[in-house]
Amino acid sequence: MPSLRLDGRRVEIHDGDTVAAAAFRAGVRTFTRSLKAHRRRGLYCGTGDCANCLVTVDGLPGERACVTPARDGMRVERETGWPSAERDALAINDRLHRFMPVGFYYKVFARPRWLWPVAERVIRRATGTGTLPPDAPTRRTPTRFVRVRTLVIGGGVAGLAAAATAAGEGSVVLADEAAPGARATDPAARDAIARLTAEARAAGAEILEQHAAIGIYEGPAAALLGPDELVEVEAEHVIVATGALEAHGVFPGNDLPGVWLGRGAARMTAIHGVTIGERVVVVANTEEGAHLSEALRATGATVTLVTGRVLEARGTRQVSSVTVLTPEGRRAFACDALVLSLGWAPRDTLLRMTAEPEVVGAGDVVRPGSTLAEAEASGRAAARGQADQPTEATSWPIAEHDGYVCVCEDVSMHDLERAWDEGWTSSEILKRYTTATMGPCQGALCSRHLAEHARAKGAAPAARGRTTARPPVRAPRLGDLIGGVHEQVERRTALHDRHVAAGARMDHSGVWLRPGTYGDVGEEIRVVRERVSVMDVSTLGKFLVAGVDARTLLDQVFPLDVGAIAPGRARYLLALDEAGYVMDDGLLAALGDGSYFLTSTSGGADRMEAWLRNWIDRLDLHVHLVNQTAQLGAINVAGPNARDLLATLTDDDLSRAAIPYPGHADIVVAGVPCRAIAVGFVGELSYELHHPRGRSEGLWDALLAAGEPWDIRPHGLDALDVLRLEKGHVYLAQDTMPDDHPAKLGLRWAVASQKETFVGKRALERMDALPLERRLVGLRFDGAPQRGHPLAVDGAIVGRITSCAVSEAAGGPVGLGWVRAVDGAFPDQLTAGAVTATVSPTPFYDPEGMRLRA
Amino acid sequence: MPEVHDRPLGVIVCAADPAALDRLVPPGHGARVLRVAPDEVLAVVAPDFADDVRRELADRVAALDHDALVLDVSDGWAAIALVGDDAERALSYLSALEAPAADGFAQGDVARVAAKILREPDGLVLLVPAYWRDHVRTRAIEDAGAVEARA
Repeated sequence: MPSLRLDGRRVEIHDGDTVAAAAFRAGVRTFTRSLKAHRRRGLYCGTGDCANCLVTVDGLPGERACVTPARDGMRVERETGWPSAERDALAINDRLHRFMPVGFYYKVFARPRWLWPVAERVIRRATGTGTLPPDAPTRRTPTRFVRVRTLVIGGGVAGLAAAATAAGEGSVVLADEAAPGARATDPAARDAIARLTAEARAAGAEILEQHAAIGIYEGPAAALLGPDELVEVEAEHVIVATGALEAHGVFPGNDLPGVWLGRGAARMTAIHGVTIGERVVVVANTEEGAHLSEALRATGATVTLVTGRVLEARGTRQVSSVTVLTPEGRRAFACDALVLSLGWAPRDTLLRMTAEPEVVGAGDVVRPGSTLAEAEASGRAAARGQADQPTEATSWPIAEHDGYVCVCEDVSMHDLERAWDEGWTSSEILKRYTTATMGPCQGALCSRHLAEHARAKGAAPAARGRTTARPPVRAPRLGDLIGGVHEQVERRTALHDRHVAAGARMDHSGVWLRPGTYGDVGEEIRVVRERVSVMDVSTLGKFLVAGVDARTLLDQVFPLDVGAIAPGRARYLLALDEAGYVMDDGLLAALGDGSYFLTSTSGGADRMEAWLRNWIDRLDLHVHLVNQTAQLGAINVAGPNARDLLATLTDDDLSRAAIPYPGHADIVVAGVPCRAIAVGFVGELSYELHHPRGRSEGLWDALLAAGEPWDIRPHGLDALDVLRLEKGHVYLAQDTMPDDHPAKLGLRWAVASQKETFVGKRALERMDALPLERRLVGLRFDGAPQRGHPLAVDGAIVGRITSCAVSEAAGGPVGLGWVRAVDGAFPDQLTAGAVTATVSPTPFYDPEGMRLRA
Repeated sequence: MPEVHDRPLGVIVCAADPAALDRLVPPGHGARVLRVAPDEVLAVVAPDFADDVRRELADRVAALDHDALVLDVSDGWAAIALVGDDAERALSYLSALEAPAADGFAQGDVARVAAKILREPDGLVLLVPAYWRDHVRTRAIEDAGAVEARA
């Protein structure tokens, strides 16, 4: 016989068993311990609505045993209680309850301040509900998108009738809600469900089995969670037919194992053939409850059917007696199972998540206690646009004395009373203070009790409503929540495989995946400084700007003098926003036909495109902009031998006359047409070769092969970080802050102030009239500095290091850092911990720029 | 299960005045013209005809907008084909966009990156910037259940 392991013990499985059925048949009565008081909790709703039976299944915590099918070989553990759920030493908390009133941890661990971190750890260890498996493989649920005319949520009689009817009008998807049908034990209901299922399918409705809605959103849209997928549905109409569950009874002892809601008891008896007790008391205020007692009798149990209000249940390990106020008076019964069928509580959380008129209810969710015929009629009416309006009226007795209102969070009537007396006098703040409704069942059992309590206490109408319903209705796993989300959508250059094959460590650099190093950063730096190297700079933003107004656009937007750039020349370019703050930088090259080639930082390309298009529209200019970032690859050939290397691969003129610094020319390298731009970011003779992306690998290979006489090596981002620092070049974002204007960065030279207008000009003029309160400076250190370390003067922090490195070329440790003015002057000597930092002019290397102009 | 193929395609961009593009006569050679923005069209064509289509487009648009830009940007795009009857269902795991009609196209997020979707006789083609090729292929296989094309 197939079996599972429950806390290491073998438990036989019968055909069709849930984990709960198998465990209960094997004698398990305590499934969990309550959150705070560690009271025993047993099977209660039996329909996946409450959290009394959360267990860990095959290492995954938080599974509801009552709706989880049992499988051979399954490993099941009860999650709560120390050392075990059966014998829990922390059950002492139940006796100490009066010393731990509601909200006690808000008050008692506040002083001394060190106490709370300690108390928090203890409380967390004592209250957890399962442990996340740290070594579990990452699981991401695939997400499917569906657009449909009508979405029906709920696979009962009303839902199926709605789907069958709506399918005649257009596409329909029905989520069967995964939970067992409300009337699954009623033969007439089963027949109706079979008939309506066939009708709905025949009409073309798509039925998603084992799918449950976890939320309804604006649109309307809904998220449905299935066994292997998350379905995001956009629908014109949503019909919620999630039915009703039996009302949660609140009375002293209501949480004892052996107290059942009626349909849970019915399922256990009729579907799984499990006898829930030998002496069963059924307290039924519904017709269904009366029928249930007949079914229980058929199992051989002694059943007492009573009508009235439960006053109290008693017992230790499980219920042993119950006292009921019947029409005939107060009566006590000995029992080992108490079944409650007190009335109906609509499963209306989804319906309350939205006020959109396209979302309506049908069946028990709006008319709890409907007959089968009424439920079917309600579903068909909803599909025809004539939905019933939901009722807020409760048909069952609200809590009066004591007992647990919120079984998830261990909130009793006594707790609610106490909180009320403390001044928390509305349902919303009662919820926040007591945490009632905030447990795993999300208020399925208790939210109406909370609202009714506020009403009974005389709260104003606005303060006694149901608390806000929010997704998720059912607890999804983290893997479900991240369905379809990828934290890194990485862009790859055409040379990605070449880098990986060369052993590069690939780093995420903004949206790109780029080589950090090929193994030896120091050697990569030396190769650039002494011989020749290549770097993949395909990630740069690249734009072609053309049209009769191209120059006007660039002149009005950027602070450089565009007219002064002759064809074949290029200039460093700053992009300022309207506030005069630096938002990006790059290079602007004038092409011969009146158009321009513009590069931006790798991370700024998307924003640059949007920004330029915005200005084209705002200035109403005739400009055509093509983003060539994806189309063009780019390789920077850098080093004193760069020109010699290229000369072996091209017949074109590489002299300074042909390609001035900074300037550009169209040349052919190794048969690949390139726009060669003479640049100087690393401070050596350098040519950026912009070329068709499809030719990148061939060009890269040719450069490496031709560079062998110089022992060429590629360099990555780590080397670049040092090389640019030696030249004092700023990395935007790393060295800058969002409110930096050019003067703070020492980049005032890149602004043509004499220009009549450019974006940010007025702001710069205003800021120029004010003294600089901080600026970015070059720093030399007498020891090894750390990036991010505060810079201090006489112990007072006045700045921080933004970049630093130990540089051979610069003769020691150098860096960049922010420094604030002290008494109106910028200090030139600072400390960074034990290291002394001296403000130093930049560049640290080749200050005259002779090497890059070679 | 649809198969994932890399489909060679030529892509020509034409950036011009909206009014010029409104009056532009589409090129031949089986090119599909996608109006991706008021001032931009992409012509998608078999690679062998890319140069012909570029010239044709340049000639035609020059008469309507003398400084319009026409460029062969085939290198900048990756065309990933989902081939098979289940292509539309596979797409539903990648995008909230609906598959286009035979003569239309859709554009928006596919696997959370900007894409165009074309319908082909054997399935769907996802046109994405080339730097996202690997990402979209991986998502098509891992999330949408597509399989690598048989060699």
